Amino acid sequence: MFRNQYDTDVTTWSPAGRLFQVEYAMEAVKQGAAAVGLRSTSHVVLATVNKAASDLSSHQRKVFKIDDHIGVAIAGLTADGRVLSRYLRNECINHAFVYESPLPVSRLVVRLADKAQVCTQRSWKRPFGVGLLVAGLDETGAHLYYNCPSGNYFEYQAFAIGSRSQAAKTFLERRFESFNSYSRDELIKDALFAIKETLQGEKLTSSICTVAIVGSGEPFHMIDQKTLQEMIDAMEIKEDSAADEAPMQDEDKSTEAAPMDI
Amino acid sequence: MEALAMKDSAISQNGTERTLYPYVTGTSVIGMKYKDGIIMAADTGGSYGSTLRYKSLERIKSIGKHSLLGASGEISDFQELLRYLDELVLYDNMWDDGNSLGPKEVHNYLTRVMYNRRNKFNPLWNSLVLGGVKNGQKYLGMVSMIGTHFEDNHVATGFGNHLARPILRAEWREDLSFEEAVKLMEKCLLVLLYRDRSAINKFQIAKITEEGVTISQPYALKTHWGFSAFQNPSKGAEGSW
Repeated sequence: MFRNQYDTDVTTWSPAGRLFQVEYAMEAVKQGAAAVGLRSTSHVVLATVNKAASDLSSHQRKVFKIDDHIGVAIAGLTADGRVLSRYLRNECINHAFVYESPLPVSRLVVRLADKAQVCTQRSWKRPFGVGLLVAGLDETGAHLYYNCPSGNYFEYQAFAIGSRSQAAKTFLERRFESFNSYSRDELIKDALFAIKETLQGEKLTSSICTVAIVGSGEPFHMIDQKTLQEMIDAMEIKEDSAADEAPMQDEDKSTEAAPMDI
Repeated sequence: MEALAMKDSAISQNGTERTLYPYVTGTSVIGMKYKDGIIMAADTGGSYGSTLRYKSLERIKSIGKHSLLGASGEISDFQELLRYLDELVLYDNMWDDGNSLGPKEVHNYLTRVMYNRRNKFNPLWNSLVLGGVKNGQKYLGMVSMIGTHFEDNHVATGFGNHLARPILRAEWREDLSFEEAVKLMEKCLLVLLYRDRSAINKFQIAKITEEGVTISQPYALKTHWGFSAFQNPSKGAEGSW
């Protein structure tokens, strides 16, 4: 492709004013397994698709608790995500040690974004290949942020990242305006629906997805498999009773997992 | 030869030093919670040993939007702390993001500073009273020069611990109105004025509520010296001495 001339170094601009290495890093995020986040005024929910490399192996961990009031979901190079999670945990714990109070979410994401930016301006580094959905609760309310390998961050009502996330985004775009008034359970349900959209027909079970929630009076935690399966079953009963869709296909429609997802 | 000549110095074998004693000191600070927030009082005196050197020191300052800090002990160390806190509040404001440092955060930050200095044998020679209100929550705490810290409904430093706290333990209530709190405070301040040699009759009372901070202008309490025993001071003093 014609852009190959200026993409060797992250410190080389293209004539069009682009940093291709950074854009390639964002491609890595798009290839990772999907993750979605939704926010109401009091709760934030994160949900991810967990593909295992084979039936013999365990699932990738894509959701990390950062502190009682913050958690992240990642998409892309999960190793990079793990390292960044360690950094985030460190920042939170250091703040809590000095100030005996939780680090505000907005300040955490700025530090993360600044860290990512450094890697876009050093010739001996490469950008992080992971996108993070940061969900947290602080004094100013519930927050959902998306941190990009480019060093940019945005706050969202709802967002989806990773492969086939566009399907989830379309779903969320139709519904996001009412999210603020959603109850905790409605939020989880919509998160599961959004994840289902990214599966494109594959059956949604609690063994291939992870859902986590943080809210007022509820520290960040992952919802256990049993409760999750019950919620999925309840969802499907309601869907079937609306019954104009063809029944779910059981055949495994897994696409090849992108190399970084392993 | 230095270590021999200056017995007042703390230079030991390896040439390190440590703070031995304070020079210009403030005396007690008293703080208590009342219905709408925190009330804190201190006199405006700075003693240089037994000399009353400075008579107009403000020993209570507001920190950020939500806190009051009162200090006894070395005045220059208090000023140093104010510089640290100034910087802290500045950076907090620069974020401009709706979050702000509350009294709990400031109290903990001060604890860390005091404890770390103590560990280096270079303490900030102060006893600090930190009070404030944020989101309707009242907070009152103390930090000592060695980093000991705690919260309580009423606190005092120095002589205040011995003379004022017993009064507060007997008469403090959760729902004191501002006027009642001031009266209780003045009762404590009066005892300190009579009995603490480094206290002077010039006080400032500060209050902090959800709405903000007010530090009063310095004023004096009425004292009573018309005791019969004082009329003829040398009455019972016959003798060779």
